Amino acid sequence: MKADEMRALEYHAARCRRKVVRMVAAGKAGHMGGAMSCLDVLTALYFHAMNIDPQNPGMPERDRFVLSAGHKCMALYAVLCERGFFDESLLDTYGHLGTKLPGHPDMHKLPGVEANTGALGHGLSITVGMALGLKKEGCRVFTVMGDGELPEGSNWEAAAAAGHYGLDNICAFMDANGLQISGETRDIMDMEPITDKFTAFGWAVKAIDGNDMVQVVEALDTLPIEKGKPTAIVMYTVKGKGLSFAENQVGCHYWKPSAGDLSLVEKELDEAIERKKAAL
Amino acid sequence: MTGNKTADPRKIFGAAVLETARENPDIVVLSADSGGSSGFGDYKKEFPDRYYEFGIMEQGVVGIASGLATTGKIPVFCAIAPFVTSRPYEMFRNDLGYMRQNVKIVGRNGGISYSDLGATHHSLEDFAIIRMIPGVTVLAPQDPGEIRAAVHAMLEHKGPVYMRIGNNPIPYLYDEKAFTIGKGHIVRGGKDVTIIVAGAMAGNVIDAADRLAHKGVGARVVAMPTVWPIDRELVEQSARQTGRLVTVEEHYVVGGLGTIVQEVCAEAFPVPVKKIGIPHQYATSGPYDELLSHYGLDAAGIEKTVLEFLKR
Repeated sequence: MKADEMRALEYHAARCRRKVVRMVAAGKAGHMGGAMSCLDVLTALYFHAMNIDPQNPGMPERDRFVLSAGHKCMALYAVLCERGFFDESLLDTYGHLGTKLPGHPDMHKLPGVEANTGALGHGLSITVGMALGLKKEGCRVFTVMGDGELPEGSNWEAAAAAGHYGLDNICAFMDANGLQISGETRDIMDMEPITDKFTAFGWAVKAIDGNDMVQVVEALDTLPIEKGKPTAIVMYTVKGKGLSFAENQVGCHYWKPSAGDLSLVEKELDEAIERKKAAL
Repeated sequence: MTGNKTADPRKIFGAAVLETARENPDIVVLSADSGGSSGFGDYKKEFPDRYYEFGIMEQGVVGIASGLATTGKIPVFCAIAPFVTSRPYEMFRNDLGYMRQNVKIVGRNGGISYSDLGATHHSLEDFAIIRMIPGVTVLAPQDPGEIRAAVHAMLEHKGPVYMRIGNNPIPYLYDEKAFTIGKGHIVRGGKDVTIIVAGAMAGNVIDAADRLAHKGVGARVVAMPTVWPIDRELVEQSARQTGRLVTVEEHYVVGGLGTIVQEVCAEAFPVPVKKIGIPHQYATSGPYDELLSHYGLDAAGIEKTVLEFLKR
């Protein structure tokens, strides 16, 4: 990928981070930390990798995306909005009565949302079903899972099925930001080595820095890693990425900012956007 | 026993899916090491590319079924009833119900029909828990012809459906006709009481009605093969016309057909309702006929309960 395209992706990611904070401001709270950690890969998926059309969100031959870690939905909303799936005025309805942007995504409310996730450990099974149904059509199915949801046993049922059926049209990203509500993931239920676990289930696996757009794009451009095997990309990321006060802080999982917090963060993100814009 | 000819409900079910699949290429069958015992032997031979084996992972299979349905497939997943209802309940609720996916889940060996295998294999809460999921239809067809017709109706219906069948041979009771989801039917007339039945207990209820007739009690028999959404009109009409209702089901007496009938009556036309089923406790195990008799679900037991109810 050319350097200017890479810079454009980083610019979109910066704008999406600002959109997440706009939603938090509208709803007065939200699952900010995980939204920020997975935002770079979501930006790369929707602006670079996936065959999608914002004007025709139900296009049958589209690639699918399932946000298994549904609480990171503000990242998905931000990217769908930035990509043109819906008007940005909807962002200001986050957290409001009857919003199309609920605290976990609803496919029947918002164009571009493919599954109703939120309860953890569901997304990979849905992904496997989509991939089975679309294999002949050549469509790909992407999912983002959280490292905190990996202890859910249903994930490993789905992982076995994907490996058994050799679904190389699946790419599952583990957003391994290392933190969850109660503390560090390794202290709560250590699922490392994640790469070895997926390898053992018949997947082709790679580990990357999920907040480095160069590595994210490189991973997306070389799919599938191995023909006949589903791909798992373990992304080591920073929870709260892009917000200096929040990075790697357990408390940023669910953020209820004060007015003062908001204005500081908005300023920081606006400056980040300006820097990325200047680099375009 | 009503009707001499009987059939295995699982074989009737599997054959009906196969018939429909020949006409509709979107139908796919999912198995959790359960397809052979669900009557899908011939289907698997005829449509190996539309038969997916997953091994024993019912939670995964329900989620996978949802994903397949988003692509236009019509997945049919049949296994032992508790393993497709209570075990993957959250997947049923979110991935099928909340996502409104066109998936058909069939619980076989329903009720206490896996009698000797004990409470882990009984399914006595499936009507109750699945009807709590908005938008899901719950079916319990009653004789071989009705199972076949219900399978066709279920596969034509767009949306999630749960169907319960048994495994013991069941008698042919009715003339086969098209199945309308949401409609019950009057099997025989009677003025003194109405017995409303879901699922495989229909034969015993009809036999009980014969015995009651010999004692001068006219029992209307209403078949309710759609447990949810129930035929409210027919329940209300029966309440108004016969004054007392009895429900019979292979289910806990809480949460299932009996409770649903009580809910309807309480709102529409309050009358006494007697619920015949399994008490709300883990059922004991043993030979099926003896278990039915133990819980008063055989013809003699139903007759006895109805007579006592009418004396009150």
